Amino acid sequence: MTASSLLAVKNLHVEFETYGGTVKAVRGVDFAVQRGEVLAIVGESGCGKSVTVQSLMGLIPMPPGKVTAGSATLDGVDLLTLNPKAMNQFRGKEMGMIFQDPMTSLNPTMTIGDQIAETLKVHRGLNSTEALSIAKDLLLKTRIPEAERRLQQYPFEFSGGMLQRAMIAQSLACSPSLLIADEPTTALDVTIQAQILDLLKELQAKDDMAIVLITHDLAVVARTAQHVCVMYAGQIVEQGGVDEIFYQSAHPYTVGLKLAMPTNVGDYNKTLNPIPGSPPDLFAPPTGCGYAARCPQAMQICHQQNPPLYPDQTNPGHASRCWLQDPKAPKVSALYQPNLIASDRS
Amino acid sequence: MSLERPLTEADFSPAPGSAAAEQLTRPSLSFWQDAWRRLKSNTRAIISLYLIIGLAFFTLAGPLLWTQDPAAQDLDQISQAPALPKTARLVADYQPFAAPIVADHPSEPEDYPDELAAVAELSVLGAATTQSVKLTWAPVDQAGGYSIYRSERKPEGLLGLGLPLETVNAGNIVGFEDRLNLKSQPYYYSIVPTDGFDEFDVVTTIKVEPEQSITISQAVLQGLATPDDLPGQVIPLAFHPFGTDYLGRDILARLMQGARVSLFIGVVAPLIYVLFGVFYGGFAGYLGGKIDQILMRFADFVVALPFLLFMILFKIAFGIGPGESGVMPMLVALILLLWPATARLVRGQVLKIREQGYIEAARLLGGGSSYLILRHIIPNTMGVILVTLTFAVPSAIFTEAFLSFIGMGVAPPTPSWGSMCNEGVKTMLSHPHELFFPALFISITVLAFNLLGDGLTEALDSKMRTRDQ
Amino acid sequence: MLRYTLGRLLSGVITVWFIATATFLAMHAVPGDPLMNEKATTPEIRQNLAKKYGLDRPLPEQYVIFLSNMAQGDFGLSFTQQNRRVNDIIRDHFPVSAALGVLAIAFAAAGGILWGALTALYRNRLPDVIIMFLVILGISVPSFVFAALGQLALVNLNQWSGTSILPVAGWGTLSHMLVPSLVLGLGTMALLTRLMRSSMLEVVNEDYIKTAKAKGLSAPRIFFKHQLRNAILPVITVLGPQIAAITTGGFVVELVFAIPGLGRYFVQAVQQLDYTVIMGTTVFYGAFLVLMVIIVDIIYGFIDPRVRLK
Repeated sequence: MTASSLLAVKNLHVEFETYGGTVKAVRGVDFAVQRGEVLAIVGESGCGKSVTVQSLMGLIPMPPGKVTAGSATLDGVDLLTLNPKAMNQFRGKEMGMIFQDPMTSLNPTMTIGDQIAETLKVHRGLNSTEALSIAKDLLLKTRIPEAERRLQQYPFEFSGGMLQRAMIAQSLACSPSLLIADEPTTALDVTIQAQILDLLKELQAKDDMAIVLITHDLAVVARTAQHVCVMYAGQIVEQGGVDEIFYQSAHPYTVGLKLAMPTNVGDYNKTLNPIPGSPPDLFAPPTGCGYAARCPQAMQICHQQNPPLYPDQTNPGHASRCWLQDPKAPKVSALYQPNLIASDRS
Repeated sequence: MSLERPLTEADFSPAPGSAAAEQLTRPSLSFWQDAWRRLKSNTRAIISLYLIIGLAFFTLAGPLLWTQDPAAQDLDQISQAPALPKTARLVADYQPFAAPIVADHPSEPEDYPDELAAVAELSVLGAATTQSVKLTWAPVDQAGGYSIYRSERKPEGLLGLGLPLETVNAGNIVGFEDRLNLKSQPYYYSIVPTDGFDEFDVVTTIKVEPEQSITISQAVLQGLATPDDLPGQVIPLAFHPFGTDYLGRDILARLMQGARVSLFIGVVAPLIYVLFGVFYGGFAGYLGGKIDQILMRFADFVVALPFLLFMILFKIAFGIGPGESGVMPMLVALILLLWPATARLVRGQVLKIREQGYIEAARLLGGGSSYLILRHIIPNTMGVILVTLTFAVPSAIFTEAFLSFIGMGVAPPTPSWGSMCNEGVKTMLSHPHELFFPALFISITVLAFNLLGDGLTEALDSKMRTRDQ
Repeated sequence: MLRYTLGRLLSGVITVWFIATATFLAMHAVPGDPLMNEKATTPEIRQNLAKKYGLDRPLPEQYVIFLSNMAQGDFGLSFTQQNRRVNDIIRDHFPVSAALGVLAIAFAAAGGILWGALTALYRNRLPDVIIMFLVILGISVPSFVFAALGQLALVNLNQWSGTSILPVAGWGTLSHMLVPSLVLGLGTMALLTRLMRSSMLEVVNEDYIKTAKAKGLSAPRIFFKHQLRNAILPVITVLGPQIAAITTGGFVVELVFAIPGLGRYFVQAVQQLDYTVIMGTTVFYGAFLVLMVIIVDIIYGFIDPRVRLK
């Protein structure tokens, strides 16, 4: 949260006007990304994590979408106030983005080579030959074999995993300082997922690039991220280092997420514990804590007022939005901390 | 987050377990309820729906309210433009006109002069009525005859004299009667004297405004008067709000009768061929395999037939007997040629639905074939079928109009909107209303069904359920 | 691609055979003997025809004769015009219809793509509303009304200007073609505009447009390089069937504007029950349309890599 942060998002609010009313998709989100770190944003579908990062990139369709408050500064420039032309100087150059489904995220009637080269031509003013030769290097860098031939091919001739590599190559073309990965492995099968994550990590380390990784998969978080934001109902309910999130969870929702995750540690006959119920309707967000209705530790106050963000006294940077952290609250040692990540974190 | 009040111990007591978490937060709507809600919010579709209801009323109840005979010819109001109700003066039945002859005037010029004087004392003889306008004038010295012209616009000198009505070939005949298609509007009659060979550059013009009139026998025939009525009385004429056609038939009444043909073909043909296509395609899709391939191959061939050419071919092949209107052959030809599109569509839908998980699930739960078809396949194809049907109506109406327009449609005297257009286009330049009204009705009908179809497509599109407006 | 083309051509040949058979059967279902028709007057014609078509032989044999004649491209002799071959009629009049049709398709495709792209660009704003209103008119008004209105406009134009700016009817020069082909293309143009608009709006919601934005491409570049190109593809697929619509729509336009095309000739033949001309032109048009659909499909294959490379 210092001035030297690469990306600092403050008090971000995003709303969507629909015929059913106004959806308050993001309700005051703050986070910061340091140079060269991986920040994961976790949460279930519809919690606002994709909307958050897409609003940074200016990809929210407006209308119906609208950023109603907040700021997001990248290297001291507020992205939310840029005009479209200035925004294009950042997109693709300073910030790259990869999407969930590589099969639909590339233009079906353009060759992979042309699509990668396009970014280079636009941002670095290269001619076609130069751009294509760099594109070839990028494909090699993302471990796509026979790069020369692959350049000439169309997306439908690629497999899903290969396409996602090509997407990564494309987003890295101008060596951005920030890469936003919006569920980059969700549409891929498990073995490919691991390869793609390893590739991302490797490239990140090599280029000292920051990554904002959107996912709903805690295993992916554990494997890749240094910092984690847990989102629920358009707000960050807990944030901190990956160890604090996994071993000293301060919010019942984080605990619920962990309990709902399959694991191969300990008792193999253990059942999965889904979180009962469904997230609140963001047409009319509840006045109290968004999670109160599903929370096993819910108290009277939880239904009446939204809790403030309570910083963790012992671990700076770790904070949670839960009334249980209030000094007046009963001391629950009962926040169950399953030890499930141990073996996964090598 | 500022706290509104100091917190107490009680605030931190456990809350009772809430059942709200398990409740769905918004009321759910059934597919058809949701579709109807979305259709209702589409103003254009709803206006179209009202238009279609109005057209049905026009066709079915119209002839009960507007009782003019669509085949009756009103000879006093031929090619009458739309106008307010008219009255006419009763006049005696027609008596042959004997043009006045000036006895002491030579019929031929004695020596052919270089110049002639203009006609003088041009006047109307008797009353000018739409039955006849009689003119007379003073003879011109040395004239060998007179040419009579009529124009609807005021001539400028010798230009724009208008329609040459007659040339009298005697200098002593000084009268003329005009009975040519007279209307109640100003006319300019011009008389040019001739010496028997050439006309001279002198013209006399008179403005005449004939009064709308009707002969007693014609009025009696149309039931507007009794034989006892006397000439000079003013009686109301038959009212034609949309005017009349080139045979004096009431266009409104003909539109109503024509609507029966056009809408009958437009609605019944699609109903039958869409239904047939549904069965054919559903059958092929449900059975699958070889039967499906053979059935659909045949459908492909029928699709490849050049549609309008084969419509014409089939119409010839089925023939039209004497006294038949030709509606049935057209209906049969439409059905024979147009079913495959629906069949293909429904087959595609059925194949798609058959692969869906919920069909598998229903089968695993013990659902039999008829259960699957009735409960899952039919409801899930209904939307597509409904949309197809809506769009099939305008294309059938267009086809009827096209065939009737090139003279291959319904046989006269049966009117259809298309055949009315065919007749109207011939008099388009002078009487545009004869083309305008049937074309307008075709366009409105097609427009209404198209917009309703668009509305239905949007309302039934399941993608639209989740998409924001 | 070669296999694809050959396959399409083969199925095209079978389709033409089906069209010829259907034509043959339809014409033989005509009540009464077509040769006894009072229109086929002279005994020589009757004799020639009877010999040529083996009309005294049983139906299957006639069918074989008919098919072999068709396969050789011989459509026979006219019933009503002594010694005029149907082939000659087609050769004389089809180029006129084709010229009209090509110009009409060009108008329709250019207009449809242009207007469709414009409406999508100005979605729900004034240009979109105006164009879509005109499109709805174009779809709802029958072609003969457009033809009549077109002619009326020409008459008024010439009257107003006092000279003959564009000829009201007839054939010969490009100025004769302009208004008729525009009128002929209007319906198709409206249809293509609609299709182009919905295609554009669909493409706008595709993920790869989002990717293109994330790459920092300018709005015009995204519009032309990514959106337009992909949106045109579905429009091309309907061009084949639309050529058929324009061909038959040509009948009306040729009638109204007194253009000596094959369509006008066909309508005349139908009114005179000139059976050989009807059969010949039907099979010819059928084959022509099948060929057009194949050509459009193959062109589409070259444009869309997903088809080309399979």
